[in-house]
Amino acid sequence: MSESLEHLKSLAAPAELRRAPVVEGNRGLGWLTDKLSVFAEGKIPRWWWILFLPAAFAATVIFPTCLFYQVFTGVGVWGNNHPVMWGLDIVNFIWWVGVAHAGTLISALLFLTKQHWRTTIGRMAEAMTVFSVMMAGLYPAIHVGRAWFDWFMFPVPNSNGLWPQFRSPLMWDVFAVNTYLVVSSLFFFMGMIPDFAVLRDRATTRLRKGIFSFLAMGWTGSARQWHHYEKAYVVLCGLCTLLVFTVSSIVGLDFCTAQIAGWHATIFPLYFVIGAVFCGFGMVLVILIPLRKWCGLEQVITLSHIDKVAKLALVSGLIIDYIYLMEFFIAWYSGDQYERWVFGHRLFGHTYMVLGWILIGINVCVTQLLWFKKVRANLAWLFIIGVLINIGMWTERFVIVVGSLYQEFLPANWGKYMPTMWDIGLYIGTLGAFFMLYLLFVKFLPMIAISEVKGVMPEADPHHPLGGANKEGGHE
Amino acid sequence: MKNLNSQPALPVTGRRYWRSLDELADTPEFKEWLHREFPQGASELEDGSSRRHFLKIMSASFALAGVAVMGSGCRRPEEKLVPYGQQPENYTFGTAEYFATAMPTRTGAVPLVAKSYEGRPIKVEGNALFPNGNGGTDRFAQASVLDLYDVDRARRFTSAGNKVARADALAFLDTLAQKFAANQGEGLALLAESSTSPSRARLQKIIAGKYPKAQWFTYDAVDSGIHQRAATQAFGQPVKPVFNFDQAAIIVSLDADFLGGEDDLHNHIRKFAASRKPGPNMNRLYAVESLFTLTGAGADHRLRVAAGAVAGIASGILNLLVQDSAGTSLSSMKATAELDRWMLTCAKDLAANRGKVLVVAGQRQPLEVHLLAHAINTALDSIGTTVTLISAPESAGLDAKSFAAATPDTLVILGGNPVYNLNWSPKQKPATVVRLGYYEDETAEKSDWNFPATHFLESWGDATTSDGTLVPVQPLIQPLFDGLTELEFLARLAGETQTNPCDIVRATVGLGEEAWKKFLFNGFLAATPVTLSSPKLVQTFSQLKQLAAGVTKPAPTAGSLEVVFYRDAKADDGRYANNGWLQELPEPVTKMTWDNAVLVSRKTAQDLGVANGDIVEITLNGRTVSGPIWTQPGMADYSLGLALGYGRDKAGRVGTGVGFNAYKIFNGSYVEAGATLKKTGGTYVLACTQHHWSMEGRPAVRESNLEQFAKDFDYDKGYSEPPPPVVQSLYPNPLDAAKKTALHQWGMTIDLNACVGCGTCVMACQSENNIPIVGKDQVKRGREMHWLRIDRYFTADPVKRKPADAYQTDENQQFAEWIDDVQAVNQPMLCQMCETAPCESVCPVNATVHDQEGLNVMAYNRCIGTRYCSNNCPYKVRRFNYLDFNKRPLTELKGTMYSTTLTHKTDGQWDLIRWWNDPNSGMRTEDEWDLIKLSKNPDVTVRMRGVMEKCTYCTQRIEHAKIAQKAKAGASDNVRLSEAAGTVPKTACQQACPAGAIVFGDVSDPTSQVSVLKQGLRNYSVLEELLTKPRTTYLARIRNPNPDMPDYRNWPYSHDEYEKFSGETTEPAPKGNS
Repeated sequence: MSESLEHLKSLAAPAELRRAPVVEGNRGLGWLTDKLSVFAEGKIPRWWWILFLPAAFAATVIFPTCLFYQVFTGVGVWGNNHPVMWGLDIVNFIWWVGVAHAGTLISALLFLTKQHWRTTIGRMAEAMTVFSVMMAGLYPAIHVGRAWFDWFMFPVPNSNGLWPQFRSPLMWDVFAVNTYLVVSSLFFFMGMIPDFAVLRDRATTRLRKGIFSFLAMGWTGSARQWHHYEKAYVVLCGLCTLLVFTVSSIVGLDFCTAQIAGWHATIFPLYFVIGAVFCGFGMVLVILIPLRKWCGLEQVITLSHIDKVAKLALVSGLIIDYIYLMEFFIAWYSGDQYERWVFGHRLFGHTYMVLGWILIGINVCVTQLLWFKKVRANLAWLFIIGVLINIGMWTERFVIVVGSLYQEFLPANWGKYMPTMWDIGLYIGTLGAFFMLYLLFVKFLPMIAISEVKGVMPEADPHHPLGGANKEGGHE
Repeated sequence: MKNLNSQPALPVTGRRYWRSLDELADTPEFKEWLHREFPQGASELEDGSSRRHFLKIMSASFALAGVAVMGSGCRRPEEKLVPYGQQPENYTFGTAEYFATAMPTRTGAVPLVAKSYEGRPIKVEGNALFPNGNGGTDRFAQASVLDLYDVDRARRFTSAGNKVARADALAFLDTLAQKFAANQGEGLALLAESSTSPSRARLQKIIAGKYPKAQWFTYDAVDSGIHQRAATQAFGQPVKPVFNFDQAAIIVSLDADFLGGEDDLHNHIRKFAASRKPGPNMNRLYAVESLFTLTGAGADHRLRVAAGAVAGIASGILNLLVQDSAGTSLSSMKATAELDRWMLTCAKDLAANRGKVLVVAGQRQPLEVHLLAHAINTALDSIGTTVTLISAPESAGLDAKSFAAATPDTLVILGGNPVYNLNWSPKQKPATVVRLGYYEDETAEKSDWNFPATHFLESWGDATTSDGTLVPVQPLIQPLFDGLTELEFLARLAGETQTNPCDIVRATVGLGEEAWKKFLFNGFLAATPVTLSSPKLVQTFSQLKQLAAGVTKPAPTAGSLEVVFYRDAKADDGRYANNGWLQELPEPVTKMTWDNAVLVSRKTAQDLGVANGDIVEITLNGRTVSGPIWTQPGMADYSLGLALGYGRDKAGRVGTGVGFNAYKIFNGSYVEAGATLKKTGGTYVLACTQHHWSMEGRPAVRESNLEQFAKDFDYDKGYSEPPPPVVQSLYPNPLDAAKKTALHQWGMTIDLNACVGCGTCVMACQSENNIPIVGKDQVKRGREMHWLRIDRYFTADPVKRKPADAYQTDENQQFAEWIDDVQAVNQPMLCQMCETAPCESVCPVNATVHDQEGLNVMAYNRCIGTRYCSNNCPYKVRRFNYLDFNKRPLTELKGTMYSTTLTHKTDGQWDLIRWWNDPNSGMRTEDEWDLIKLSKNPDVTVRMRGVMEKCTYCTQRIEHAKIAQKAKAGASDNVRLSEAAGTVPKTACQQACPAGAIVFGDVSDPTSQVSVLKQGLRNYSVLEELLTKPRTTYLARIRNPNPDMPDYRNWPYSHDEYEKFSGETTEPAPKGNS
């Protein structure tokens, strides 16, 4: 046995070419199951409460207060005004849609491209997607003047023969965001079914058993079930991948179908997709880095995974930088006085130039740090960069939305926009709701796809010396 | 049922009015009537009303509850209708009726036609039948309707602060009359504002006859009587001047803001626009002024000097003209200094246009300047052509100065607000102060007896217009709060037996029955006033020169500033302080709302170290007042502009505490020197509707000089970017097909050459379309609701602009040098009714769509308020109702926290419960609510919050006209409205515009005025490069500068700015002239 192992080792690729193992420590599958289930089963740690309580306060007090005050009083409680009819409401909408995107991308696109490392972080990213799409979907619904008439936007058959206006990108938005919410929730839930079964089987109390039995939907792990499951999973992955591109493209179309200088550009669909992905990777970094430590998952979510996320963030960041360059170049090259004005004022107009430079500073300059391996290996740095990317992308949306509206065609209309406490309160409320939901997910649901991780363990390979073919059960 | 009382009590006009719906609805009779199934005959109604009248009132008041309820456009209205048991004859419910009346002003009157629905006036228009008029009005007339329904107007008779019955108050007047009849008026003084009412003059005479010892004082806080006094003094006869701007080729304004701040505005603007048409007879306007006014904005040459220097300039010009006539030809004279050259060239121009010149001095200027103006006019044979002198009785009575010295026993104050605007604090307080006033204001507080005055729409009266025509003031509604007219009050005070104001007027006018009816029908009495044909100047030139030297003040300095007090364009002298429409109307030049400010020039601000919003303390003659600084482009250096009419302590819920009170340092002279200014350290935020001053070289307003225009230069091509090639769209516009079958295609042109930017259209639109006011805080946030706004841009020599200026914030433009000498342009901006409207394609719910006649229409019920349409509108003419502005209580106009139905209580009940019981109930108290319901135009939906709204081309008027035409056409197919037949309606803004700048009509009719104008050389679309194909187009503005002037430019500043911005040159343009 050992002889053949030595032989195999001699055949292996040199260390520097070898792929990092998905799970470090050369552990067995049993250990893995324990490791990945124990957090959802164990006691609630202190750090969880420390994070959860403020998040829950924001979600249950600040959020409804700001929401009801706005709906009962009018959009006027926000800072939106005459030239700048859209403010933080739409900025946050795009930002949340953006955050949603990395989750699906990691989960679905990397699945299709057979990137094994995705299995360890996919679930956490998917949860991020589902919760942030919820937050995103909320904004268009409540930002309108008469939220109780939102149903006008749905094609509800009615005796008046009135239909939504299908030419309007806002109409497309309704479909896009709702489809995205439905599909990503399904994807999220379906992926968890085998893991629900694991938790069901490990349950020690009747209550847990009952809940997870219900959620597992009768999963037994039979070959037939796995067969159907994996087919369905591939289909959903395909759908989700498509949605990553379409949803953000449509959000981009909200702007580029308008004729406002600064919005009216064909690059917008791509711009918004990449922006969303970039922002999402930032958020993945922000969430993963602390959680892997606090949940003791360093060997599952390895430095190599983080490194890959950081590389993807760099790639998407570089595309963003290219788009910035193109935007400014086209504004100059078009010779259009309005375009030139808007882009000139993004960087030099005294009203919002600070934001313009924050944007450049983070999305262009800070991103370049990710070229360095030392930075990519430094978790503290990566966490800070993740936070900065989110700030930078929020700023970018602000600059696009407000920066294009505040000074457009006729100078007589020019104005300024400054959010009020209610704008900011609602944003804090959605952040709170997001993190509250996320912490509940982390604590009570399988945050790492147990079955998927097992599926990419060396032991799962039938041809692996320790694999299922050679050693029954694959257990040590 | 038989009509038991067939003789109505008030048969005077054939129409009857009621006082107040509340009064009727609260009577026990009515309540009883409500509870019975059938009223028991009309015998219960013994108040002189006929049964038919009663029914009419009932149905009307219930209709109001149903039709005009707030927010009813967005929710199903609760309808309570009592149908007629018997249809009244000659009356169609829901059809507006029109009555001629007039709005009296200080020195004239605005002849009006008031539109009335079910007995409530909701809109006034100018009287188009009036021989000297075009149906235009001024902003005060348009806004006056709101005053009628003002919640805060005086609604009760009080004695020593307590409410008394009307009868008791009238009895008190009778006792006064008896007392003074016995002692010949000993100790009686009356203080009144000036009036042109012959009836009042007659009553004044009666009082003078009955009470010879009584004193009568006349005062106006803003005195426009100076024109008459000056003419009388200049020509030695009691005459007043009528300025015929339409006859003038050269107009010189000596600090006269005849297009913005003077009395009789609508006539001045109309006449000025008449001679301003581009062509060989276009007039030329020279303005000498310290403040930047609308007249300065309309001027071809504007001389920026301190107000105290105007006399010197007038005398300089006169001197040149005298030398010319004495033999020294002007053409032989040379001048080197810029000012001398200005005067010499101006004098040359005047001399060259003998008989067609008009020099007019401003109300602010001392009498001597007016004398100089008359002298120049006389010297150039223009009296009789450009200035008509009509004989006018000298106002009897003493002035405000003698009032200060008077010590009456009983003081009767008729209107006016001396405690506020005369700084009158009764030192030796008269035993009794009796006041007839429209508000319970500052003076009412100090009065012992207060009588509520009537609005002119509730009054019988008469007035004389500025050209001497007698006009009637007839009521459209019975006084809502039992008020008294001035005439009735005076008649009672005089102890007359005839106290009915209608009878008083009839007695004054003295017409037979038929003539009287015709007088009321027409709204004027055609008569030729006596004009003075061959006037002789009383003063000699040398005397005038001395007088001028006496009033010419040394140039102000930073340590000794000049203060110019001016009549505010909105609050007037403070009388309209509680009118929310006027408070929210952007001041035509500064675009400021809800405030006044200390206007200074950039240099003054720099030297004194102050910036916009800094609160400063001004000391003048030992008195001080504090107010915020506002840097005004084009202001004279070291001159401070202070608008009167603000800082009211007790104006009402709208006007109290708005701005600062410049009267505190005002003592009757409008230009004062020697003021000092000190920074207090505080700052104040001003609510301005337009922050950016420069057009940034964008071709929003297109201008040319007459000389260029006359060369038949292809204006459009030369000025704008090359016209975009006609692109055949892949997708044909479905509306183009509709064009072939639709009966009309509506369009509009706005003549920027005629528009002076006075703001009357904005007020007319607000009145017609039920546009709410939003309050200062909301204006500050850019949420004012005006569907029609007037964009005002300042342009300057682009050489003075630094590249960095473009990147500065709007707050920093006050420090830029280019604002020192500016030209200004005004552009009314309303929905452009684009044929390919960007707003329509982005609305997700089809709330804004196009109709076959080319209107971009809004379905308010369908709108959910995504606001994308506004974002995509390049003209930004859509307004969003952010906070339910129609239902917000008036007390919240100034707040920044908004109460919600969750927290707010109205009349002691939670709003949420009120809303639950009746979704149409608002957050306003019942008294506000009732008056608001009365004031709304029932033809126009009152929009709720969360809904986008915008100009509709007054679609209600179009529909009315179409329905009327269809009714008339009967079986024939003659349903098309045509201008030739006079059936095309006018939009509210068009009808109100005194300059006739706005023309609306059917563009598919090639003979219509609007089609003809659109064919003209000056026609252009704003932002046409966006291919929105607007139906509203503009006619370019033409300036007519004098090529010999030192500040002459080949092209206007805006053109040069455009060239600099776009890098295109049209023609080498020599700058200036040496």
